[in-house]
This record gives sequence, structure tokens and C-alpha cells, in this order.
Amino acid sequence: MSNFDGLQIALSSLYAQQKALQVTGQNIANVNTEGYSRQRVEMTANSGPITPALESRYIGAGNGVTTGDTTRITDQFLQLRGYQESAVQSGLQQSQSVLSDVELAFDEPSDSGLSKLISGFLASFDDVANAPDDSSARVALVQQGQTLVDGFNALDSALATQRTSAVNELGSQIDEVNTEASQVAALNQSIASAVANGDSPNALLDQRDQLVSKLAAEVGVTVRPGDVDGTIDVFVGGTALVRGASANPLTMDVGTDPAQTVHVTWANDSYPAGVTGSTGGLLSGVNDVIPRYRTGLQTVEQQLAGQINAVHETGYALDGSTGIDFFTTDASGRVEVNPDIVADPSLVAASGSAGATRDGSVAQKIADLGTVADGYQQLVTGLGVESAGVNRKVAVQASVVQNIDAAQQSVSGVNLDEEMTSMLQYQHGYDAAARFLTAVDQTLDTLINSTGIVGRS
Amino acid sequence: MSSAFRITERSLSTSALAGLQATLSQLQDTQAKLSSGKAISRPSDSPSGTMNALRLRAGIDRADQLDRNASDGLARLGMTDTALQDGLSTLRSVRNAAVSGNNAAMSATDREALAEEVDGLRQSLLATANTSYLNQPIFAGTSSASTAYDPTGIYQGDSGTMSRTIAPGVSVAVNTTGIEAFGPAGNDVFKTLSDISNDLRTNPSNLSNDIANLDAGSVRMQNALSSVGSRYDQIDTMQSRNQVNQLDAKNQLSDVEDVDVAATTVDLQMQEVAYQAALAATARSIQPSLLDFLH
Repeated sequence: MSNFDGLQIALSSLYAQQKALQVTGQNIANVNTEGYSRQRVEMTANSGPITPALESRYIGAGNGVTTGDTTRITDQFLQLRGYQESAVQSGLQQSQSVLSDVELAFDEPSDSGLSKLISGFLASFDDVANAPDDSSARVALVQQGQTLVDGFNALDSALATQRTSAVNELGSQIDEVNTEASQVAALNQSIASAVANGDSPNALLDQRDQLVSKLAAEVGVTVRPGDVDGTIDVFVGGTALVRGASANPLTMDVGTDPAQTVHVTWANDSYPAGVTGSTGGLLSGVNDVIPRYRTGLQTVEQQLAGQINAVHETGYALDGSTGIDFFTTDASGRVEVNPDIVADPSLVAASGSAGATRDGSVAQKIADLGTVADGYQQLVTGLGVESAGVNRKVAVQASVVQNIDAAQQSVSGVNLDEEMTSMLQYQHGYDAAARFLTAVDQTLDTLINSTGIVGRS
Repeated sequence: MSSAFRITERSLSTSALAGLQATLSQLQDTQAKLSSGKAISRPSDSPSGTMNALRLRAGIDRADQLDRNASDGLARLGMTDTALQDGLSTLRSVRNAAVSGNNAAMSATDREALAEEVDGLRQSLLATANTSYLNQPIFAGTSSASTAYDPTGIYQGDSGTMSRTIAPGVSVAVNTTGIEAFGPAGNDVFKTLSDISNDLRTNPSNLSNDIANLDAGSVRMQNALSSVGSRYDQIDTMQSRNQVNQLDAKNQLSDVEDVDVAATTVDLQMQEVAYQAALAATARSIQPSLLDFLH
């Protein structure tokens, strides 16, 4: 044991308390920083040599305190769960937004939706039945028919426009994902070299966690520690998006099939990527939800045309001809009012027998068709059910994510009260160490200046 | 909100904000409902309500059209009724003339005068038979003829019926054909009237035969008139019932679609109070910190 050991002990304490104070200061400075995980200094008591030596024995009290690494306090498992749940949430929110836009396009129940047009169209058959030889009633009927067809076409093209903008959004999201993935790869490299050097790159780790949680919301990721210390590998659907310092880009391509199915694939081998998250939600909106409602609408339109045609074909026009279709399909397969009837409304087959020009019985039969609007009503109700279901799921998922966020915050967040208390703690520790230094100094002073001078005045 | 074992400033403010957001979003929904007056503004608000609303709306629109059909039918039947009444009174006058002419004491000149009277009455009956509604002859059935009878009394129309749907599944004929009112073509009241006129001039002994035919014609016309009357009543009753049903449907639609203003206003008040309480709680919980107490 040396006289100067005490000084060493005091010095080590001063260093340690000061370092701890600085880390506390760092925590306080970053209390509002997004994604910051609080840091703590590990202090270990230095107990001096413990291996017995041949000719000597250690009788000192220890060597003070050493500080270890500054560690970030995070919970890895909470993080992984957070990634999973936020992917689900983003996916659901995206589906919710797609369905909400579809509902806006349908605009039911209201006076401006298709159901009103269908009623108006049937009512104009009543008018023709009441005055079968009146050309103005026939002209009005043809116009109503065209308005109805236009209504269906307008709704279909609104849905098509929605799909196009969703595809564009998907494209830009994929680009964003690729950028973030390459940033994660770059961070992996910096962190790996810092760790190899023995540093604790806590700010870089926080940054990387932020990026990964953004990626989780966008495509749904799983994370595993990489081969090199300090790196992580990010997987999307089982394939690596980021492996060490290299990133695999994703790409989106629009198929050439009639439905123009969109695929998200890996750029280097064109295998389909199993994306979830908001990209997955957009993908299902583009490939499933919107095409489903467009097809449903087309089916409704064709069924309506078929039902009307079936009765119309049994009727006779003013000139006695029969077997006429009210609705035909145009070159692109869309339903339209028979162009012959548009050109000559007298071809509307209102009569029940040839030559009876004032007989409107077939027109009356068409007006009495009660089931014409059923298909459309079912489509709209189905839309309501689907949308309401997703809304409920979003609400539930929001509280799940909130809980996980709160749990993560409780582990990694900075509490100012705690930091204040720690600050006081380290401050007093520093004061006490300084006092101890003074005390040792005084003992040395006594030893050096006051011993061996007996008799000296 | 979950209670974590360690609370941080951020988690405190995040959860306070989340609570405020939730209350505010409820407030926004209620406000939107009150200002639009609609409880269902999109199908997801209530899928079953939407189904009902669409059905009710279709029913209400149909009821409007059925009402128009009924009014058209009533107008036609009304005209037919008036025409047939005129016709019956004409036939009565003809009968009087024929009966007078059947008296053996009548002189040829007198019978000639009666015959001319009958000719005049025949013309007026012809005009009645050619009554039109909206430029269509009401006794011509469904044919495209411009008049029901030509000037010589030959029937131009057919035997078709015009039907109107006046209630769901209920269809009523709104016309009477010339055949039904005046007799089969070739053997109708016009022929009888010509016969009476000829017989008055040349063959008075056949007049009793003609009068018998005339009576048969009158009975036929009377039957046609009663049929018109009962159909008129039927349509009138159905029209009133339709209007009542439509009003019911409109009330039901309002129940489904429209917002209950009183209940929603109370909801709004309660949510406002809740929001204010949340704000106050947030203010109290976010403000204090250890710093206030350290010197």
C-alpha cells in the first residue's frame, strides 16, 4: 500500500462522477429527441489485484472506481414486437384509406348516387307506358338511359383514377424504402467500425433504430444481429433487405395482363417480395380491393342491362319490329344504350303486340321490375360492411401500438425527475471525492511537514 | 392507457395527447353529424342502415311514379265516364223517337221528322264515341287510329286494353274499347241507329225489333259505365293508400338516415365537457417537475 493510493482513489472517483454527470447532461439535453434511448454509465469498483503473488500480499482497500461503457437502455424484444405491430397498423390504415376513398366515389346513400339514377330510369319507362306514341316521353327515356350508363362509367373511371394514384404512391413508397435501406446499410458500416475500435456509437444506434422502425411501418421487417459485430440484418418476408453494409433494392412493376396486376419484387432476381405494412396495404388495395369493386360494378351493370333487355326483347316498337335490345355492348365491352334506339327512339319496344302503337304494356312491365336495383344495393352494403370492419380493426390496433410504444418509452425514455436526482447524486459524489482528496492531502501534509520536527518551534 | 412501471416526460405527453386526440375526433364526428343532419353519410357508418335507406329511397321514388300513373288513369276514366253518360242520354232520346215512330197513327211526314232527329242523334253519338284525351281517341283501344269510328260509323280501333300499374303488383285497365261500349263491329249501336232511321222512313213495322236491339245496346253501355265507375273508385282508393304508404316510408327513411338532433346535441355537450376535463387534467399533470422544487 502506498501513501499516494488515496490520491489515486480520489482521482478515479472524480473522473467517474464527472463522466456520469456528463452522461446525465446528455440525457437531459436529449429529453425531447425522437428515438433517443437513455444512456447510463456502468461504474465498477476497482478492488486491486486479486491474484496472490509469491513474495507480497495486497493489503490496500482498493483502487477506486472505473467507468465502463456508456450503455443504451433498450428492450430488444419490445422493439421487435413494436416493428410487427406497427407493420400491421400501417397496413390496416392504408386499407382503411383505400376503402374510404371507394366509399366517397360511390356516394351512397344520397340523391346523387347511382341508386337515384336507376329509379329515375325506371320511372321514365312508366312515362312511356302512359303515352307510348308520344315521342317526347321516348326521347326522355333514351336520355335517362344514357345518363344511367354515364353514371356507371363515371364511377368506374373514378375508381380507375384512384387505382392509378395508389400505384404512383406505391412506387414512391418503394423508392423511400430503398433509400432508407441503403442508409441502414451505411450506418451498419459506421457502427461496425466504431465497435471494432471499442467505441459506443450510441447516437448512430439510435438513428439506425429509427430507420428500421420506419421500414417496419412501410414494408414489415424482422431484424437479426448480423455476422459482423454491431451490424444488423433486416429481412422482408424472409429475404434480406439489408445484410451488413449492403442493401437489396426492391422494385415495383406493373403487369401486362388486362388487370394490370402490380408486383413488388427484388430488383436483383425478380422474385416476389413478401411485403406487409403500408406497402402491403397499398398492394392489396391496388390488386384486390379496387379491382373487386370495379368488377362488381360491371357485373351489376350487365345484370341490370340483361334484365331490362330480357323484357324489352318481347315488346314491339312503333313500327312493329320486335327482339330489340335496349342495352348493347360497345367495342370495348362496356354497356351502352343501343345506338339504333338513340338515333330513333320510336324503336323503344313499349307495346305488347305488333301494330298496337298505344299499348305500353311491355314498358309498364319493365317499369315494374322490382329486382333491378338489388345487385347494386348488395354491392354498396358489402362495401359498407368491409369498410366498417377495417375501421374497427384500425381502432383496436391503434391501442395495441399505443401500449407497446408506452412500454418502450418506459424502458428507454428520459425521465427528468430521475435525471435531476442522478445529477444531485453525482454532484454530491464529486463534492465528497474532492473533500476526500483534501483529507488525503492534509494527511500527507501532516506527514511531510509536521512529522520529525519534535523540538522545532 | 396502460400503466408502465416507469413514466417518462415523453410518455406522459404522448398518452395525454392520444387521449385528447380521441376525444377531439369524437367531437368532430358529432359536429359533422349535427351540421349535415345525416347519421349515415357513408355506407360504413351503418351497413344495415344503408341497405334499408337504399330500399326505402327506391320505394319512395317508385311511389311518386305510381301516383302519376294513377292520376293519368283517373283522368282517362273520368273522360270515359262523361262520354258514356252522354251516350246513354243520346240513346234514351233515340228510344223516345223510335217509340213515337212505332205508333201506327204517325204520318209519313212525322216519321220523316223523327228519322232526321235520329240521324242527328247518331251524328252526336259518333262525336261522343270519338272523344279524345291528349290527342288519343279514348275508345280506340291500343290501335294507332286517329279516331275510334270513321264518319260512316265503322270501328277503326282494336280490342286492346291500356293498363296502368297503380300500386306494386296492382294493375288496372284504364280504357274502354268501342266494342265494349258500343257493341261488336258491324252490329253496334250505330248500325241500330241507322236501322231505326231507315225503318222509320220505309219499314215502321220493324221498329219494335230495332227498339229491342237498342235496349240491348243501352244495357251494354250501362254495364261499361258501371265498370268504369268501379275501376275509378279502385284507382282512387289505391292512390290515397299509396300516398299514406309513401309518407310512412319517408318517415322510416328519416329515422334511418337522419340524425336525432336532440340526442346528438346532448352527446355534443357531454363530449365538450369530457374534452375540457381532459385538457385540465393534462395541464395539471404535465406541468409539475422536480425542477420546480430544486433550488
